[in-house]
Amino acid sequence: MKKFLVAILAVFAVAGIFAADGRLIIAMETEPVGLDPHLVTAFASHRVLENIYDGLFRYDENMRLIPNLAEEAKAVDPYTIIFKIREGVKFHDGTPLTVEDVLFSFQRILDPDTKSPAAAFYQDVESIKAIDNNKIEFKLKKPMASALLPNFAGVNSSIVSKKFVESGKNMQLETNGTGPFYLAEYVPGNYIILKKNPYYFVKDQPKFDEIRIVFMPEEVSRVAALKNGDVDIAKINEPLNLKQFPEGKFKIYRSPVLSYYLIGINTTRKPLNDPRVRNALNYAINREAIIKAVAFSEGVVTGPLNPAVQPWALQPKAFDEYTYNPAKAKELLAQAGYPNGFEFEIVASQRYNFDKVAQVIQAQLAEIGVKVKINLVEWGIFVKKWRESDFDAFISMNSGSIEPDIQFYRTFHTGGSTNVFLYSNPRVDELLDLGRSEVDISKRKAIYDELQRIIVKESPVIFLYSANQVFVSNASVEGFKLLANESLVFLRETYKK
Amino acid sequence: MSFGYLIRRIITSIPTVLFVAFVVFIIIHLVPGDVVDMMLGTQNYLTQEQIQELYKQYGLDKPLIVQFGVWLKNLVTLDFGTSLRSGKKVAALIADRFPVTLELSILSMFFATIIGIPLGIIAAIKKNSFTDGLVRVIGLVGLSSPSFWVGAILIVIFAGLFKGFNIFGYVRMQEDFLKNLQVMFLPSLTLGLMLSAQIMRMTRSSMLDVLQQEYIKTAKAKGVSYSKLIGKHALKNALIPIITLSGIQLGYLLAGTIVIENMFALPGLGRLLLQAVNERDYPVIQFVVMFIALIIVALNIVVDFIYTLIDPRVELK
Repeated sequence: MKKFLVAILAVFAVAGIFAADGRLIIAMETEPVGLDPHLVTAFASHRVLENIYDGLFRYDENMRLIPNLAEEAKAVDPYTIIFKIREGVKFHDGTPLTVEDVLFSFQRILDPDTKSPAAAFYQDVESIKAIDNNKIEFKLKKPMASALLPNFAGVNSSIVSKKFVESGKNMQLETNGTGPFYLAEYVPGNYIILKKNPYYFVKDQPKFDEIRIVFMPEEVSRVAALKNGDVDIAKINEPLNLKQFPEGKFKIYRSPVLSYYLIGINTTRKPLNDPRVRNALNYAINREAIIKAVAFSEGVVTGPLNPAVQPWALQPKAFDEYTYNPAKAKELLAQAGYPNGFEFEIVASQRYNFDKVAQVIQAQLAEIGVKVKINLVEWGIFVKKWRESDFDAFISMNSGSIEPDIQFYRTFHTGGSTNVFLYSNPRVDELLDLGRSEVDISKRKAIYDELQRIIVKESPVIFLYSANQVFVSNASVEGFKLLANESLVFLRETYKK
Repeated sequence: MSFGYLIRRIITSIPTVLFVAFVVFIIIHLVPGDVVDMMLGTQNYLTQEQIQELYKQYGLDKPLIVQFGVWLKNLVTLDFGTSLRSGKKVAALIADRFPVTLELSILSMFFATIIGIPLGIIAAIKKNSFTDGLVRVIGLVGLSSPSFWVGAILIVIFAGLFKGFNIFGYVRMQEDFLKNLQVMFLPSLTLGLMLSAQIMRMTRSSMLDVLQQEYIKTAKAKGVSYSKLIGKHALKNALIPIITLSGIQLGYLLAGTIVIENMFALPGLGRLLLQAVNERDYPVIQFVVMFIALIIVALNIVVDFIYTLIDPRVELK
């Protein structure tokens, strides 16, 4: 029996086939849900598609907007933006990119039948037209040209080929972009192969002929695959696992991100409808302790915007609430009429350690006599509760944005599409509208500073922290970089020694 | 087995499969959170009207029973539906993924039998000895260890011990036979180990039962060699309950593959189902479950047929 097993092992243990050097293998935990750039909402789809499609803009490594398919962009006045389209760009099928394609892409996004997430960003666009054969002009209803610009770098604003879409192709299954890679093969549940686009307009990019993205939902598998040499780069979610990657053999990449953990509060339910009560919770939470316990110190404390990556952010120390102060919390509760605390429920799911965050918060709030009941639910159920504001409070993660208008408007404006807190404050609404249309940077900064202070004081949301994104590669990988929006656009500049 | 019998069995199993389909349909639609919720996540960007429009587009605005009727009608016309999330045909998804799960199940069964049956026989022959005790303890541990834990341990051991042994990176058998076997080795071993515990216990008790029989004593008295006695006379009769168990196990295996396929990143049916449930991709869940029900029904028929091969006294009418 034993001999038999050993014999089988010997047969199996034939040396594996390693990656050729013209190829990079990267392990991710989630796979795309559909491939139509104007429709996808899943983050995993975005990460793949931004290497296949281009927008008019993109971000550099410091999250600054830089020209992409638009050679230049001018906000002629707060109501008008003119883009000059880059010449000589070709789609993956070899057809040249024209102004027509750009115009068609935005018409497709704005068509209500498309149901594109980006349509909401451009709701204040009055008209789009092509001029001079190589320019495109956006006219706006509101003076918000500068607030609008970052949207043009999003995957949902990608430029597609008019001819390709009109030929009746199913965009969820087939792709045809102008990006550095084209989609060569997609085997759901297994891998995606991206191949070098020979027409790509940036010289000497991409470096690899082929990038293979393999999907491995389990962290233990990604760690083992990386150590084993099955993959070159892997996403790591549990900082504890970093101990397994000795320096010299592996490289560790960390970067702060725009997304943030939060406690969302239903501001219409007693006693949480009292801003003093919410503010008390804010004082009673020790963020550093949460980062230590849950993220093993791989994270930063964040206010409404992450100070590590957001030029608009106020530093946490600007807020009194960020100094852990249980005495002050008790005082506020007493003022609100709850000297002995109260009880409420936090809804959380087991994704991204939300459950662990909830447990730490439960322990912290117990210190001021507030009893937290944790209701752990499956993600689908969570989303339903979230959408219907069916909660006292919840723990979740929101994706941030480099543009404060994008991050705040729909979240805190009365009736905003993600304002599930049912929060409404006339001054906040006013500031949000002003921030949208203000072009002067210093005035705009003052507006968003005030807004951040109000939001922390009133605490419809208690901002907790931003967990660093962590990737590990083997030592031969060069040029790989992370971006604060968690994108992988730098795969085009990645190569092996 | 007569041909008429087979036809009868197939016809009588149709209600079973339809009942399963109906129950699953009701359950997945009763679970809070639907495909539209999952699409929008917590990044909602649509107006209420647009959301209603989406429900209409997917036919989710109709009463459940009507939706089930539509699904059945499509089924009869061999239209197995389209994934709401990826836009792919469900039939194509299954055709793509079933071979992976099938291979995993067969290999697991192979490991389970070559581990379970010999150990069970040894335990039965050496009843109440130290060896027997040891085997039973191992069996108990095997029964009580969760597969994801066993899988994780095996991954860690192999990644550490055998450099260059491909644990991950599934390739199809026809593309690269050796690499396919390498990648399938650990997941099958994990599942096989889990199953072998049950098979071992069943083999032990079944063997003990047979060894008590009169005809064994007769054979012994006639001077049949020990190995022939165990291998030919006893084992053949002991196999019937083991095969029944293995058949049932194979059905359960399909469920076991969900965890293992996720763990070892294999593009099989189990992982497809898990993803579909997470995404609330109704057409995919619906047809995959029905497909699995069909397989289990077919397995039952096959197991009955194998009885006749082993025991000539069994006749299927």
